[in-house]
Formats: sequence, structure tokens, C-alpha cells
Amino acid sequence: MPVNTEKEITTLWRNLHTAQSEICKTYYRWREVAIEIAGPETKPLDVALKAAEMMGVDIGKNFLPRLNWLKGEETFMLNLGRQLAGMWASEGAATTVEQGEGPSEILIKCTRDPWPTAARHYGVPMEEVALTRERLFQAILVDVNVFFDTPLKIEMLKAIPRGEGEWVFKLYKDESK
Amino acid sequence: MAKPIFEWDYSSYPGAKKYPKLFEPIQIGNLLIPNRIKYAATEDNFNDHNGFITDADVAYIRRRAEGVVGGLCFMQGVYMDEAQKGQGYVGQAACWDDKYIPGLKKMADAIHAEKAVAGFQLMDCGRVGAVEVPAGHGPSTVPQRLRIFKPMYEMSKEEIKEMVQQHVDAARRGVDAGFDIMEISGIVGYLISNFISSYTNRRTDEYGGDIHGRMKSVVEIIQGVKEACGPDIPVGIRLCAEELLDDVRGNTPEESMESYKIAEEAGADYISVTAGWQESIVPVISRDVPMGSWIHLAKLAKEHVNIPVQMAYRLFLPELPEKAIAAGELDIWEICRSMIADPLMPKKVLEDRQDEIRHCVACNLCLARLFRDAPMTCYINPVCAHEHDENFFPKPVEEDDEKEIMIVGAGPAGLECAYVAAQRGHDVHVYDKEEALGGTILEASKAPYGDEELMTCINYQRIMCEKFGVEFHLGTEVTEELIQDEMPDSVVLATGPVYPEIGGTVSEGATIVNVLDVLGGSAEVGDNVMVWGNRKPGIGCALFLAKQGKRVTIVGKEKTAGFDVNPSFKWRYMIYLRQNRVMAYNDCDIEEINEGEVIVKTYDGYRFPLKCDTVVMSEREANEGLKAVVQGEGIELFVIGDALVPRNMSSAVHDGYRIGLRI
Repeated sequence: MPVNTEKEITTLWRNLHTAQSEICKTYYRWREVAIEIAGPETKPLDVALKAAEMMGVDIGKNFLPRLNWLKGEETFMLNLGRQLAGMWASEGAATTVEQGEGPSEILIKCTRDPWPTAARHYGVPMEEVALTRERLFQAILVDVNVFFDTPLKIEMLKAIPRGEGEWVFKLYKDESK
Repeated sequence: MAKPIFEWDYSSYPGAKKYPKLFEPIQIGNLLIPNRIKYAATEDNFNDHNGFITDADVAYIRRRAEGVVGGLCFMQGVYMDEAQKGQGYVGQAACWDDKYIPGLKKMADAIHAEKAVAGFQLMDCGRVGAVEVPAGHGPSTVPQRLRIFKPMYEMSKEEIKEMVQQHVDAARRGVDAGFDIMEISGIVGYLISNFISSYTNRRTDEYGGDIHGRMKSVVEIIQGVKEACGPDIPVGIRLCAEELLDDVRGNTPEESMESYKIAEEAGADYISVTAGWQESIVPVISRDVPMGSWIHLAKLAKEHVNIPVQMAYRLFLPELPEKAIAAGELDIWEICRSMIADPLMPKKVLEDRQDEIRHCVACNLCLARLFRDAPMTCYINPVCAHEHDENFFPKPVEEDDEKEIMIVGAGPAGLECAYVAAQRGHDVHVYDKEEALGGTILEASKAPYGDEELMTCINYQRIMCEKFGVEFHLGTEVTEELIQDEMPDSVVLATGPVYPEIGGTVSEGATIVNVLDVLGGSAEVGDNVMVWGNRKPGIGCALFLAKQGKRVTIVGKEKTAGFDVNPSFKWRYMIYLRQNRVMAYNDCDIEEINEGEVIVKTYDGYRFPLKCDTVVMSEREANEGLKAVVQGEGIELFVIGDALVPRNMSSAVHDGYRIGLRI
């Protein structure tokens, strides 16, 4: 039986997008449970930020075997930026990685992101979505910095949930350290 | 005046004439070692989980002590802290209390019983330790790159002092147990190497900073251990000459050589040179690394220190250390895996029985098992880990029980079975339809990245078969009639696997060839190849073809490619597949084979076409051929190796050995 390539790819894509959508939904369902268990005294934002921190540290550990200092700082930072962008893309975001103003600056951009849309369905404040993403990326850098003895930082310049049209993160070397 | 522990005279041995440097004495500290051979300390996971020595470990080390023919024989490194942070292996020997001394004494006595020099090693596993506790200790809190290792926490200055004292106390216990020479392990990611490396030591106090600061605790250990041992017991240290950690900003080679000089100045009586860490991304000791690749590091060490230099690391043939010692690049030949594969290896060299050596094939199965909390075993030595069990050694059969045995298949299973059965007194006949010995290893050894070393197993088995009078009937296909004519007492089917036809639709124009024909060079293969089967035979064949510039894709049923390859070697294959641009589709089946195209179906039902002009079949099944005939004649039957269940060379050898003992 000949392969209908268009049908195969369409089915595959549909299933991929469903899976990506489920990532966001699963997180927000879990968030509701965590907030309920934490009790009325706990701020939902604190739960979200703590979760982002713990998940970020764990994701950062996964980055370690894939990063390599051999090709120098510039390539290292570019690869790190690509890892962050790639992880985000696997969740359904459209991301790009660009060189920033100097060799020690990388911009990670995202023009389409399923997370704010999913958050809206669960009544999550948009500012929480922005701050959670920023905290997640910062937490990823914790082990990376210790492991490679690097002073890297990441800063959120723009955020879709803030109505700024795109996400822009600046990954850079903290020259003060 | 240096003195030997035992007197040895090698002058009448042919091997000593052939390899005069290997059997020349050498002074280490105040000790005279009769030769240049050392069984290097190797973990084996044979001891109980409280660190007490078992009979299995004593028997294991005694066999290796016999092998070094008067040289150095080191027992495995001991951990030294009650908190078990330094314990890297579940069966590692302990030495944090005097209660361990009686067990350790058994080890020293076993080595002395073979007139060898008993070596004791102190080994806090540091970054690769804490196997039984939640977290380990190190100079700094640097996260683990490999998740199988525990999180690390920075040691306080008090803890460092305590650790130094633990080394000193353990050394004293080693001396009390009767050991003759002491060694401090500072390699591959263990605690001392963690202190020395800029990668793992980020301290800003006196135990960190430059290489002198990073060596401070090491100097304190060497000096303390020296004092505990006294003038008659030399103290050596194993240190990395090259960490191979450039990707994580580890030490430079210059810093490593500086660490050697500092160790010498602190009083070390010898240096054992090593390369790489467990975490290094550079292969160091696997089969794909040519023998002798690291000898330049020993030479470099010799240029920087005046004390004896020792080294192992892919020096599997005596010619290599002999040459290096003669050239002044090395002083002592360390042996580890080669003596796991054949504990009597250097003894056979001395007796000029080199062709009777069962050579290590550098698969690293022995080491892979240690990290998975399993006792060591050897891919090709079925007796390894069973030295204490007399049932694992061939025993002569009673005269009335001697049998005529027909072994069908001259691959690794059949040959192993043949010489063991013949050694016991049976009349053994090996049949094979091919003219050459080796079975599928003849073709498997054609695969790239060192697989030619697999043939050393066949060569060893051939020699042993000849030694014990096995009769070969090569170029003879065993048929029902032949079995009926010969009517042997036992038949062992070691016929290798069969290669089943593909399950899906196959169109007429499709070119399908067998993996053995491809590797053997008798099959014509196009430029776009699909290899069906993602186990080791498929991977080896894919790399063989990719090396010829062909575009190769592997499709297989296993969830991951190389499912049957041990993890310590598998990562190399994965890199080679990527480097050679071989794509692997795992967890897939073949639905159709058409001319120029194969339809692949994933486990979850997606279908996609794969362009290819040749399909190579490497999937295997058990071989049922001749079973019914043998059983029908009422002859005792054994089925071994891939004929029983397609696996690997190791299973074939182990099957063959065990059945050889049983018949």
C-alpha cells in the first residue's frame, strides 16, 4: 500500500500539537492542585515561582552533558541559548536565537507561545506567566554556572503576556563577576 | 640497601629472554621488585555490602597474584570513612576500622602465597562515591554531569583534615594486615583527583587556588601515609597525566605534570600514570582506541619525575611495555583488564606460552557492571568471579564416562565447548561447513573501530583445541546422514543463528542481502543501504558500509539502537553512528520492500518511505536445524550460543564453557 505522505505528516503534526498543548494544560492543572493544597495563605505566584525554580534546576542538570567549553565562550553561549530555545520550541513555541550586541550576548526570541493562551483558560494572571518563564530560565543557569564556572545571567526584555508582541530574553555574561 | 620480599630467578624461562626488560628487577623505595609487572588495583564488587572481604575476592586476587610471577599485585582500593561517602562500589572493601584487618590479611596472605608483592590501595571515591548514601563529599559543590552519581557537598577544613587522617589510619591498617607496598588513588574522578582538578576544586582557601593549593591535601596524605608506613614500605600514587576534561575546564597537561613533581617532592616513591576521568568525553580504554595510544603520557611523566613510572591503558601486548621500558619511557607495566580476561597472562609470557593467552577485547563490560552494582564479570573469561568455586574449573571425567562428542559449528560457542570438554578427557570432533574457524566472528571482526580484536578469542580457542586434541572436520556440513553414520554420544549444536525472511511484502526487484555476506565481501551493495536490525550486528555492518562512503540507515525493532551493547561501549557506537551520518529508526518494523524503497512502520502506526537500493538483513533468530534429528536418534543434545538465543560473543563463550564442563 503506497504511503500517503501528506496524511502521515498531518496525523503526526496533529498528535504533536495535542501533546504540546497537554504540556501547558497539565502544568496548570497541577498548579491548581498545588495552590489548593498549599492553602489560602499561600500566594499562587509564590507556588508558580517555586515550581519554576525547582523545574529549572532539574532541566539545568540535563543541559550539562550537552554543553561543552572546548569551542570557547562565544560558541558555548550560543549553544546554551539554542538549548533554551529548543526546550521552549518542544513545548510549542516558535523561537529563534540571535547574536546580541557583543560576543557575550545572546538574544532568545519567541514570537508564538502556547503558554499564555493556556494560562488564560485556567484564569492565571498574565504577569505570573511572564515571571514564571523568567524564573525558569534563571534557575536553569544555576547548575550550568557552577558546573562550568561561568557568570552567566538571563534577563527578560519583552514578554508576550505583557502585551509586548514577542518574548525577548538576553543571555549575557555578568562582567562584574 | 633494597631487599626483595621473595627471591625469583627468571633466567631459565624463555619469556625472560624474549622480554628481558619485563623480567628485570626494579627498586621502589627500599623494596626490590623482581620484575616490571603489576596487577593494578581493580574494583570487583565481590565483597559484602559492609566492606568485609569475601572468599570470592581472596580467590580472585590469588589467581592474579599467581599471574604476576613475583611482581606487584594490588588488591582493590579500600574506602576509609564510616560515613561511606568515599564508597564508590557496593562491594568495595572497607578499611575504616581495625575490624577489617583480618579480612585484609587474608588478601595479603593470598598474594604472598604466590610469592608476589602485596599492594594495598587507599581510595576515597569522592565524586563517584556515596553509592550507599544520599550525598558525597568533595572540595567544592560542583554538580554532577552524569546523573547516576550522587550530589556533592563541599568539605569543611575540618573534614579535609579528617579525610587526611583516614588515609593515614587506613594505611596503618594495611601495614598491620601484612601488605608490602602502599598506593594512594588519585584518578578518574576519585576524591584526590577532585582536589587536584580545576574543574572540581573551586576553593579559595589554602586547599584551592593554583595547583600547589589544590595539591595541599594530597601532600598531607602522602606525608602522613609515608610516616605511618615507615621506611620499608614504599608509597606510590596514581595521578592523571591528562584529565581529558578540557570541555569543562579541567587541568592543563602542564598542571598535571606539576602535580607529579609535587607528589614526588612530598615523598611519593612512584607514580602510576593514568588518563581521563569517568566524566571525560574522550574514549580512553575502549577497543576503538589503538593499543599503545597513551604511552606518550608515561614518557612525559618520565621527563618530569625521577621516581619509577607505571602505566596500564591499552598495553595489552608485552611487546609494547618491553619496548617502552627499553626506551626509558616506562618502568613498570600495569595490567588490569588483560588479567581480568586472563589472570595468568604475564605468567604465560614468561613461559613463552603467549599464544595461550585469552586476550581482553576491551569491551569494558567488567567496568560497566561495577557501576550497576553488579559483581564484575568478563566478556570472554567465564571463570572470572568464580575463582572460589571449584565447580567452575574443568575436572577429568572417569574413564567409563568418556564420550564421543560431535560439536556442530566452529564459532566461539562451539570452540569454547570443544576444548573444555576435550580437556576433561572427552573425544571431541568439531564440524563446520566453512573451511575456517570462527563462525560469525569471521565476519563480525570486519566491522570498524577495533572489532578485529574479536578474533583473538578464536585464535586462543583454536590453540586450546589443538592442545587438548580436538579434531576438526572443516568444510563438512553436518547432515542427518552424517549424524546417523557417526552416532556420537553427545551432539552440541553451535550452529549460529538463522536470518529470517522479512515479514512484510517483498517486491521482485528488491535487492536483499545478508549481513554476513556484506561483511565477508561477497555481496554487492548499492550506495543507499538500509540495514534491518538495530542490534550490534546491524550497527557494525552499518558502520562498515558507511566507512565506504555509502548512505546507510538502520531500522530495527529494539527501542534503542545497540540495546545489546554494554553501556560503557554503547556511547561510542552512538557517536560513531552520528559521525558517519547513519540514521537509526528504532522501534520500527518493515511493511514493504520495493525496488528502491522500503516502507517503514513506526511502533505507533506511522508509515514512511525510505529510499534505498539494498536491504541488509541482520535480524537473527534461534536455529532449530538438526535438533529434531539428534533428538530422534536419542542422542544427548545441547544447544549453545546464537543457535540457542541470538546474543553476543560473550554469551556464546560462556554457554560453550559451561556446557563443556557439564557434558
